[in-house]
Amino acid sequence: MVEFEPKIIGFLCNWCSYAGADLAGVSRIQYPPNIRVIRVMCSGRVDPVIVLEMFANGADGVMVMGCHPGECHYLEGNLYAEWRIKMLKKLMACAGLEPERLRLEWVSAAEGSRFANMVKDFTNQLKGLGPSPLASEKPDETILASIRAAERAAGTSRLRTLVGREKELAEEENVYGEKVTQEEFDKLMDESVKEEHLRSRIYLLTKDKSMSVKELAKHLSVDTRVVLRHIVVLRRKGLLAMDRIEGISPLYVALEAR
Amino acid sequence: MVDKVGAVLVVGGGIAGIQAALDLADSGFRVYVVEDTPSIGGTMTQLDKTFPTNDCAMCILAPKLVRAGRHANVHLITNAEIKKVKGEPGNFKVTITRRARYVDEEKCTGCGVCAQECPVEAIDEYEQGLSRRSAVFVKYLQAVPSTFAIDREKCIGCGTCQEVCRADAIIYEEKDEDVELSVGAIILALGFEEFDPSLKSEYGYSRYSNVVSSIEFERILSATGPYGGTVLRPSDGDLPRKIAFIQCVGSRDAKLGNNYCSSACCMYAIKEAVIAREHNPNLQCTIFFMDIRAYGKEFDAYYSRAEEEYGVRFVRSRISDVKKVLGSQNLIVRYVEDGEPKEEEFNLVVLSVGMKPPKHVEELAKTIGIKLNKYNFCSTETFSPLATSRLGVFVCGAFSSPKDIPESVAQASGAAARAGSLIATGRGKLTVAKKLPPEIEVSDKEPRVGVFVCHCGTNIGGIVNVPEVVEYAKTLPSVVYAEHNLYTCSQDTQRTIREKIKEHNLNRVVVASCTPRTHEPLFRETIREAGLNIYLFEMANIRDQCSWVHMHEPEKATEKAKDLVRSIVAKARLLKPLKKPMIDVTPVGLVIGGGLSGMTASLELAKQGFEVHLVEKEKELGGNLRHIHYMLGSEDPQERLRSIIKEVTENEKIHVHLDAEVADIEGYVGNFETTLTRGSDKKGINHGIVIVATGAVEYKPTEYLYGIDSRVLTQRELEEKIGEGEFKARTVVMIQCVGSRNDERPNCSRICCVQAVKNALKIKELSPETDVYILYKDIRTYGFNEDYYRKAADEGVLFIRYDDDHKPKVTQENGTLKILAMAPVLKTWFPIEPDLLVLSAATIPNPDNERIAQMLKVPLTKDRFFLEAHMKLRPVDFATDGVFLCGLAHSPKLIEESISQACGAAARAATILSKKRLEVEGAIANVNEDLCSGCRICEAVCEYSAIEMKEKDGKLVSSVLEALCKGCGVCGSTCPTGAISMLHFTDEEILAQVRAALKEEKKYD
Amino acid sequence: MTEFDPKIVGFLCNWCSYAGADLAGVSRIQYPPNIRIVRVMCSGRVDPAFILEAFKSGADGVLVAGCHLPADCHYISGNFKAYRRVTLLKKLLQQFGIEPERLRLEWVSASEGDRFATIIKDMVKEIKKLGPNPLRAGGKTSG
Repeated sequence: MVEFEPKIIGFLCNWCSYAGADLAGVSRIQYPPNIRVIRVMCSGRVDPVIVLEMFANGADGVMVMGCHPGECHYLEGNLYAEWRIKMLKKLMACAGLEPERLRLEWVSAAEGSRFANMVKDFTNQLKGLGPSPLASEKPDETILASIRAAERAAGTSRLRTLVGREKELAEEENVYGEKVTQEEFDKLMDESVKEEHLRSRIYLLTKDKSMSVKELAKHLSVDTRVVLRHIVVLRRKGLLAMDRIEGISPLYVALEAR
Repeated sequence: MVDKVGAVLVVGGGIAGIQAALDLADSGFRVYVVEDTPSIGGTMTQLDKTFPTNDCAMCILAPKLVRAGRHANVHLITNAEIKKVKGEPGNFKVTITRRARYVDEEKCTGCGVCAQECPVEAIDEYEQGLSRRSAVFVKYLQAVPSTFAIDREKCIGCGTCQEVCRADAIIYEEKDEDVELSVGAIILALGFEEFDPSLKSEYGYSRYSNVVSSIEFERILSATGPYGGTVLRPSDGDLPRKIAFIQCVGSRDAKLGNNYCSSACCMYAIKEAVIAREHNPNLQCTIFFMDIRAYGKEFDAYYSRAEEEYGVRFVRSRISDVKKVLGSQNLIVRYVEDGEPKEEEFNLVVLSVGMKPPKHVEELAKTIGIKLNKYNFCSTETFSPLATSRLGVFVCGAFSSPKDIPESVAQASGAAARAGSLIATGRGKLTVAKKLPPEIEVSDKEPRVGVFVCHCGTNIGGIVNVPEVVEYAKTLPSVVYAEHNLYTCSQDTQRTIREKIKEHNLNRVVVASCTPRTHEPLFRETIREAGLNIYLFEMANIRDQCSWVHMHEPEKATEKAKDLVRSIVAKARLLKPLKKPMIDVTPVGLVIGGGLSGMTASLELAKQGFEVHLVEKEKELGGNLRHIHYMLGSEDPQERLRSIIKEVTENEKIHVHLDAEVADIEGYVGNFETTLTRGSDKKGINHGIVIVATGAVEYKPTEYLYGIDSRVLTQRELEEKIGEGEFKARTVVMIQCVGSRNDERPNCSRICCVQAVKNALKIKELSPETDVYILYKDIRTYGFNEDYYRKAADEGVLFIRYDDDHKPKVTQENGTLKILAMAPVLKTWFPIEPDLLVLSAATIPNPDNERIAQMLKVPLTKDRFFLEAHMKLRPVDFATDGVFLCGLAHSPKLIEESISQACGAAARAATILSKKRLEVEGAIANVNEDLCSGCRICEAVCEYSAIEMKEKDGKLVSSVLEALCKGCGVCGSTCPTGAISMLHFTDEEILAQVRAALKEEKKYD
Repeated sequence: MTEFDPKIVGFLCNWCSYAGADLAGVSRIQYPPNIRIVRVMCSGRVDPAFILEAFKSGADGVLVAGCHLPADCHYISGNFKAYRRVTLLKKLLQQFGIEPERLRLEWVSASEGDRFATIIKDMVKEIKKLGPNPLRAGGKTSG
């Protein structure tokens, strides 16, 4: 049997990590060939939607690498990357994909060997995890749908706003001059991620065909009450409408996002 | 004498508070409304429909809220509470704490972008937890003020709302602040809290998701509610097929300490069942009840309709508990009916929750210095239902006792009257009237239209290409100026509009933005300040009816916006300045009927400083009160009557006309001319308003051997007997609903149950060993009178129910009076041989009503009581301006209710009498006498009697009574010769608007 | 050929239906942009002449909307008058060669934003089936 070779996408920031990878080359440090590097100007540029898109397309792992804290070429882009990855891992967990498939590492321009070690380590870790359920010819449809929903959720203004604000809130004071504790924020984030993911799943499912609360609940293995509550919110936002009533069950259909 | 402070503080911005505020502000006082939540409107805003007319609650409420929001002399202080009350009647100093809302009320335009971008969600209390809102929120869609507020408990302080707010309205630095107000009187309209049904754990609320409270069900019914108006059940979103309503949840429950009846639940449950059925005709609704208390005006008719037309099933029962069916979300209701335990499965259970005193009421009572009753509602007395224990502090609405909307509204007006009487010397001292420049003459000038197009932040501008609309507007005929604004409603744009009017000699102004329903008054004010007549303004609604509803079609939305602007400009070109006619007011009242209501209304008017003519057809004052000898409480009604009569006769402003009748009434609001007759004497009086307080009479039964056997009496006759100390009997039987709730008179007479309980208790007091039986259909001792019902039962009064198929049988055999009554559980007839049979005879309309109604051109109900302008929100007004109604003439009611209504009618009348001249609407009907053929069709279609026929040059022509016309335009579109035009909505204007909506128009240059 | 895009004129009473249309906006309920709304104080104000003028000027459909029967009317009974008038006018329209289905009378309350949007959607669909106003198609429009 051929050994499983994980496919890894690496987003490397131009100024530190990409230079670090170059240095590994210049120094002829060997590392597994599983990584495909995409250069970005800053790790802070790595949009959660893109990362999820990679997984949807079959990546077994995604690495985001940036400058060490305090060394970011753009001052604090790497910190934003950190908050985003944290949120992404939560979303992945919701979607049923192992959060360990996503890694964030700091690699400076001088750390060629660190870069190589990271890649080695991650490759081994992924080998242990086995192939992504989305990597095969016939990807797991439930997880794929769930990742697609995560992608959509990652694009909602609610999650984007929260992620965008985490740094300020966690490190500084909020607009009232108060400190928001990390626990408070994490709790809010956890809730929001779960809710937005579920809403996105409902939204995407009803895009293809109109569905009842019960069908959705069965499909999503969630309580009907919870589904209905989210439908109420989605209708309020103009994303969902009651299509028709079949028997005693209304069917809902997604509307084009406005 | 030191003047009283001409301002009033109203605490509570629900329907009662708002009504009191408007009445006072309309009669020359400054009013502060302090509301706990961020917007006014109270519980009524959450209701879907209202009984017994099934009116949409928001439709009838919103105009009042908007009016209160814009009234120059009503100051809304929302998100605030009372901290301290000092001083004395006529001169209080009240400290209010305004809690920070973090949104500038001056700047916020209510556009809602902040809420869309806010990343934090919270439970939506307005939707009863069935939906979510954001941390920056507005209480409900049509809220007044529409200012948003930040829920500080939920907000994480991320700063997003401030960044997205284009109006710069978010202020995180805001702190709670104290405001001190000087007021002459205080009105408490605190409303109520719903009973928390989880306290009745046997019903499974909060354990089972398909057990909901009645107020949740209102939201479920509402088109603006969480389910968009489709009745769904919360467990799985399916349509329920069977709904159970359980009554008296938290009311009539001695175990909980809430022995009182919440008064409104029977009717709202029936309404909810009816409306639910309207939504879904396959639905089966069952109401589990103890007594159906449909005691109000036309309520029983509604109750029968629910049963007959909507198939609502009524089950008289006691509920044991509600259990969930194993493996299903359905519920089993276990109950006892006719002594038999039964059970039935339902898809949804609605708990009709009762009313509790408002939250933190004890603390508040202490702050204000008023006493509460044993249930923690405001303590009041029968003969002074609007006064609290502290002088100068009045009460209205559900805070004094659980009650429904019309009662609250009547009481609110009543409290306004009492407050107004107290501070009458301060009238007009603190109100503001704006100084305005003279109006510029425009009728001789070519139209010069200015168009202001609003971006509304991104609400319009994000979809409609606003600059393109502006450029387009410039190409339209008569448009000499056009510009766009970030927010046309902002204060700086108002300044710009005034400047541009001067700079470009504009004589017509068009604003293309949101809806005229909320914003027309603002812009009208603005152009008036620049010297233009207010009718030279028009609005194109390119937000609510364009950008917001065509978000995915920006190009088409832009095209539509252009069409709307073009079409409204076409109308604007034709606009004519209109004068608001002014009519003089004779500051004198006429009160018809010298019973308790008529006397109370007269006294209130006199105390407010107006002269009153009180006309009574009998030789003495007092009406029905003369026959009342004792009360349920300790008051002595005859002593009260004497003191009221004394007060009336000694008041020099009141002219009492005894033994007199109103022979004829001519004229209209502000200017009535009435002829009184007394024997052959005639007397003419001039007055500005009329209050109808003609009372009602007791039905003379033809049933149950009344008039044949002298032992058969009516309740009133029994009371006279007891009053005269002639009562003696070992056994007394009372039969309820004699002459009411039958085919001839389907409605309930309301007072007889209380009267029967009162007389039964009196009998037990005088002669404890006397057996008293009360044969009834439903015992309707609503409100706190439920206590007396319980007391009567405790003292051994036997209550035996009968239904229409098993009415009691009364016979006389060998001189013995014999009654057969059906025992409900045993289902057998059993005999009673009483010494006295007392019939609870109906209260029936005064036979004079027909004549008076005709004279005043006001309508009567099917039952021949007077019919008010609106059963819910205008309980003491007639549709005809200047004519008011109170007491039994309106419908049967208790003493305290008559007093409240009488004061209410006086307050409504004072809104007219307090003005030297009345300004009436300018956009009214106008007759071209040359074209008029005198066919009188217009006279027939006008609901307001605003058209009268007069002779001109030998022919009959119609003429509009400006004071009465409401401007609906129905006469104009009915007129066969086109003689009537509707000003401001003339045929030419509408036709131009229609044509231009469909076709391009270009400047001819 | 571009798809036929009907033009509809809507006469809406100020108190219920206009408010309902506003609510559709506040609730962001989307509907086709084919209607041009003319605000009148009461549906009873709508003169048959206004409706005929709209058809003459090329409207493919006319909507008259007022407060629900029987009791919602702000002016007590204007809605009944509208009802009688529109019913009669529908009969007349046939004689002018205009399909009566082009004229609709609906009751929309201030809380029925959804209903308003549904009516417009439905009306646009129905009128698309009917095709352009025969007066317009025949080029008989005046002015």
